[in-house]
Amino acid sequence: MPNLLLQLQLLLAALSALLPLIPADFRAKAASFLDLAGRALSVSASVAADVSDLADRLTDVRAEIEAVAAAGRAVTGDEFDAVMARITTASAAFRAALETAEAAAT
Amino acid sequence: MLKGSLRTALLSLAMITALPSCSSIPILGAQIENPVTAARTLDQQAYAVLDTYAVLVEEATKIVADPNVPITIKRGLGAVEKVATPAAQVVESALAAYMRARADFEAASGQSQTTLARAADALSIAGQRLSQAIAAASPAIAELQTLVHGAH
Repeated sequence: MPNLLLQLQLLLAALSALLPLIPADFRAKAASFLDLAGRALSVSASVAADVSDLADRLTDVRAEIEAVAAAGRAVTGDEFDAVMARITTASAAFRAALETAEAAAT
Repeated sequence: MLKGSLRTALLSLAMITALPSCSSIPILGAQIENPVTAARTLDQQAYAVLDTYAVLVEEATKIVADPNVPITIKRGLGAVEKVATPAAQVVESALAAYMRARADFEAASGQSQTTLARAADALSIAGQRLSQAIAAASPAIAELQTLVHGAH
C-alpha cells in the first residue's frame, strides 16, 4: 500500500509539471484538483504508515505476552505499573496534541 | 480512502479486545496481531489489554499531531480516547485488587482452613471483577467507534 501511494504521489508530481501546458482557462482548476489529490494522498500515506507501525508494535506486544505465557509466570506489579504509566503519559500527550490541533483549526 | 483506512484501524482496535478468538486481523495488507489471545491467565490477559491500549494511544497521538489529518478525524479519535482510557483505568483498579487478593491467598496457604477459605473467596471475587472489567473495556471502544462513524 505505501508503495502504491508513493507511485501515485510521483504521478501527481509529474502531472503538476505539465500544468503550464494546460490552457490558462483550465489551469487554476487543474492546479486546485492536483493540490487536493496531493493532500488526500499525503494524509492516506501517513495513516497507512501509522497502521503499518501499529502492526509492528502489536506484533512485539504479542511476542512479549507469548514469552510470559510460555514461561508460565505471573505478570509483576512493576510491569503493570510501567504499562499504566505509559497509558497515563500517552493519554496526556494525546489530549495535548488534540488541544493543539483544535487551536490550529479555529 | 482516508475514512476507510481510519475506520479499518478503529475497527481493528475494537476487534483486538472484542474478539479474543481472533489471533490476527488483516489491515491495509498488514496482519495485525492480537496480543490478548496469547495470554493464558487472567493477569496476562489484563496486561495484554493494557499494553495493547498503550500502543494504540501512542499511535493515535501521532495521527492527531499530524497537521495533514483533518480535524474531524482527530475529534473522532478524541471521542474514542475519552471513554477508552477510563475503561483501561477500571481494568487497572480491578487488576490491583486481584493481585492483592492473590498475594493474600498465597500468604494464607499455611494458615487455618477458615483463613484460607476466606482468601480463596476474595480471590474468586477479585478474579470475576477483573474479567468483567476486561470485558467492559471492549464495548466502550466499539461504541465510540460507532460515534466516530456518525461524526463523519
